[in-house]
Amino acid sequence: MPSAVAGLNVPANFESALAALDANVLGAQERRDLLARSFELHSGRERPGRFWKIDLENLDYSALTVATAAAPVIQAPQARGLIACDLATAARQHRELFVRAFRTAMRERESKFGALASALCNTGAFVYVPADVAVDGAIEIAYNADDGALFPYTLVLLERGAQCVVVERVSGGTGAFVCGAAEVVSSENSSVTYASEQRLPENARVLFTRIARPGKDANVQWAVAELGAQLSVASVDVLVDERGVEAHINALFFPREDQHVDLVSTVEHNAGDSHSQTLVKSAATGRGQARYLGNIRIAKHAQATESALRDDALLLSKRAHIDSVPALEIAANDVKAYHGATVGALDDEQIFYMTSRGIARDDAEKMIALGFFEPVIQRFPTEALRQRLRDALEEKVSA
Amino acid sequence: MSQGLKINDLRVSVAGNNILKGIDLTVERGRVHALMGPNGSGKSTLAFSLTGHPNYQIQSGSATLDGQDLLELAPDKRAKAGLFLSFQYPAAIPGVKVANFLYAARQSVHPGDLTPAKFRALLMEKLEALDMDPGFLGRYLNDGFSGGEKKRLEMLQLAVLAPKYAILDETDSGLDVDALRAVGDSVNGMRRSEEGKDTGFLIITHYPRILQHVKPDVVHVLIDGRIVKEGDAELAHRIEREGYDTLREEIGQLA
Ligand SMILES: Nc1ncnc2c1ncn2[C@@H]1O[C@H](COP(=O)(O)OP(=O)(O)OP(=O)(O)O)[C@@H](O)[C@H]1O
Ligand SMILES: [Mg+2]
Repeated sequence: MPSAVAGLNVPANFESALAALDANVLGAQERRDLLARSFELHSGRERPGRFWKIDLENLDYSALTVATAAAPVIQAPQARGLIACDLATAARQHRELFVRAFRTAMRERESKFGALASALCNTGAFVYVPADVAVDGAIEIAYNADDGALFPYTLVLLERGAQCVVVERVSGGTGAFVCGAAEVVSSENSSVTYASEQRLPENARVLFTRIARPGKDANVQWAVAELGAQLSVASVDVLVDERGVEAHINALFFPREDQHVDLVSTVEHNAGDSHSQTLVKSAATGRGQARYLGNIRIAKHAQATESALRDDALLLSKRAHIDSVPALEIAANDVKAYHGATVGALDDEQIFYMTSRGIARDDAEKMIALGFFEPVIQRFPTEALRQRLRDALEEKVSA
Repeated sequence: MSQGLKINDLRVSVAGNNILKGIDLTVERGRVHALMGPNGSGKSTLAFSLTGHPNYQIQSGSATLDGQDLLELAPDKRAKAGLFLSFQYPAAIPGVKVANFLYAARQSVHPGDLTPAKFRALLMEKLEALDMDPGFLGRYLNDGFSGGEKKRLEMLQLAVLAPKYAILDETDSGLDVDALRAVGDSVNGMRRSEEGKDTGFLIITHYPRILQHVKPDVVHVLIDGRIVKEGDAELAHRIEREGYDTLREEIGQLA
């Protein structure tokens, strides 16, 4: 069936799914509008790498069946007034809080895949931390797509002076398709770390849109690990609309064999006196393909901003490619902005040094490659997560 | 089996240039050999050739360690055979912790001989002997280390790996008086220990200073890719007093 929206290629299976999805989260008409918007919007990332065969603008969605999916498994520590529940429950039982936050940042920067994740949202989680409550321990949210189409939406709202750590895990079966969103809306003086561990099987597809809008003097940290899936398309944004923000984006990815990763991070400094730090470490082996685009935008009035971006890419095979593109747009004059990028193979002198101590070449290469990721791993919350990441990376290096 | 680190008529080129032009030298077990020579004469080239750096092409000659052909072996196998090089410029490896690296190295060279607890105890003892802060163990390998700290870490590795033959490539350069003494004490301590009493040393240096701490049995002089003279400790002092020119003249007259 052709699309109801003239001139747009909205897949019929998407349109027909809308009516049955949770109407508290989003009404059918709003979903329909967002779906149309998604197919109207240009992703701007058709073939992000020089050697990509996958066209992100025209992904084939025809085989997907969209229906309400199971809620994620959520584990939260005890904390006064903390809410950690599935999104549909929040949309009913915590309506006011839900409405205050849901899609408020997302709609500021409507994107093709963000709109798609919203329109078809079929599961999700909601975290709310009341004023001056520091949640001790991580709030864990685990999504499992099995072999289906999952559109998870995680919404995090922090009041003044609130603090929490969220660890999101995304897993699934070989046929999984995940198009998700994470949205963090925080108030003055709050502090939040949001980590995401994507470990889908290597023939799954995943598109993830993550956006945070911190309040005044707030601290927000993303820590994103894109390790699985055949195709992983991710964006990580921070909208600095208030002064005094401390924003960190940390990310790692590691395509191997036929995996493709396209990661775009953006820090938009629209208010001054803020600091941002972006740190991305990536490796590729086999025929792994990746593109990293790191945007830093500093608006004219965002004076006294300090922004640093560093990305390092390690190529472990001749056929692997990582395109690394730092993109700085700076309109203010009183700013400090640093960026540095490296792309290279393992260093022969490092390998020789280690092997000269009796360590076998393979082990030396493994240790050096893992060491390469260590600075970014250090920025992920919880030792358990850091260890899982090290183990996953080690497996990839060894394969 | 013929004991010793034996180098016979070794010829080595780097990037197409002949650097070592026939080296004959035997480092004997339990003895200290000093190797001196002007900048660019080929001292590091000899050290790297023996340890198997891929940039150094062996043209001819042989090198054996207690009878075992070294030149056949990959670098890690040479270390397992008992060879150790203290690097003139050690590589920094961010993200790899000193303690983990040392454990991996020790396990490779002496598999399974120490439990992690015993290894830890050994480390602490050697750290103290070198007057090093245990905080080093948690740092990344040579990453952000000062020149002197790197050299101390090389000495720590020497102590932990207890090789049969150790080449120290200008370990004394750039060290302050205390660090130099610590290096000397560390080598001497090793030579007194059960593990290290038979270790043969090849100490590459420009200065007799280190040789006052570690008394050499033989001093070899390398000029332009050849060993041109051998002598006792006095030779080192003579070089310091007179430089290499008088040696060159002497050789010139002999030739
Ligand atoms: N990778 C290389 N490529 C080209 N030439 C090299 C390379 N390595 C060494 N050489 C050359 O080989 C010669 C010997 O160098 P080597 O490092 O062995 O000297 P050295 O005796 O250790 O000197 P120093 O006292 O300065 O440490 C020098 O002329 C040097 O430039
Ligand atoms: Mg040298």
